[in-house]
Amino acid sequence: MNTNKGSWLSRNKWILVLIGVPVLGGAWWVFRPEKLFINQKVSETAPPALSSEPEALYTGKLEGKIHQTSGRATIYKNKDGKEYLRLSDFTTSNGPDVHVVLVRVENKALEQEIVMGELEHVEVGMLKGNQNDQNYDLPAAVDLNQYQAVAIYCERFHAIFGVARLEKF
Amino acid sequence: MVCTIKAGLAFAALAFLLQPSLRAQDNMKQDSMKKDDMKHDKMQDDKMMHDGNSKTLQTGKFHGKVHATSGRATVYQEADGKLVLRLTNFKTSNGPDVHVILVATKDADDDANFLKSNTERVELGKLKGNEGDQNYEIPAGTDLTKFRTVSIYCERFNANFGAAPLEKF
Repeated sequence: MNTNKGSWLSRNKWILVLIGVPVLGGAWWVFRPEKLFINQKVSETAPPALSSEPEALYTGKLEGKIHQTSGRATIYKNKDGKEYLRLSDFTTSNGPDVHVVLVRVENKALEQEIVMGELEHVEVGMLKGNQNDQNYDLPAAVDLNQYQAVAIYCERFHAIFGVARLEKF
Repeated sequence: MVCTIKAGLAFAALAFLLQPSLRAQDNMKQDSMKKDDMKHDKMQDDKMMHDGNSKTLQTGKFHGKVHATSGRATVYQEADGKLVLRLTNFKTSNGPDVHVILVATKDADDDANFLKSNTERVELGKLKGNEGDQNYEIPAGTDLTKFRTVSIYCERFNANFGAAPLEKF
């Protein structure tokens, strides 16, 4: 029996090879398993028109806290290296003594609407307007790795109007 | 008697008329102050936009469960109106026949087989690499209010490697 089977295999091995190789080849082509281990890296530069633009570093959407606030906060870096914050599509309510400030993102106070005690922050400037696009120069020394939340903050009443948590652009 | 009523009415009417105007004046004061600021600001914006001749329209972050996918997708409009999709900090797994497409849904699930045959899509091209920054042209006339999600899509297996829902920048 054994010799019989062996002889069948040996008689037909070319047929097996003829069928097996294309099947394996096809399976390889379909699944391309080697790609699991091979990375294909590219690093295209931004389109030329863009590379002359200020570079966006961080961005985040504004969420309302005590007052409805919406829009986007983005930190750009100018070609000369200066960083600035831009609010776009921005709307909040008007109010007294409202400031734009940077806060540490892990600051628990950001979960409240009214801050108890002092809010630890970096001042960016008085809010220029409660609606529309606006730019603010950032203090040169601010460490953006630490201060990753933008807050619209009424200092007089310690009220947080809105917060944007920044993410890497 | 009639006189006092008349006088009262006149006074009330006067107060009624004056009140909004007083308020308006107040607003105007504030507004004009702000407007100046805003004007100034807008000028800056305009400069920012027109210097580089291109603008950022939409952005979104990638998420993916089937194959870990991360990074950011951003749609830029160049000066001549051409739309460009740029992937930054991008990483996904390598695979066979992987394409970048725009899908007419708000967000693509992490499900492997997410694309119904009737889901409209716009092909942007074969994925240039599974890591790194890369640009793709968006065909002229693509309605970005309709095609709101970028998907890294394996056509052969109808698998969604990762998706980025686009939001207004």
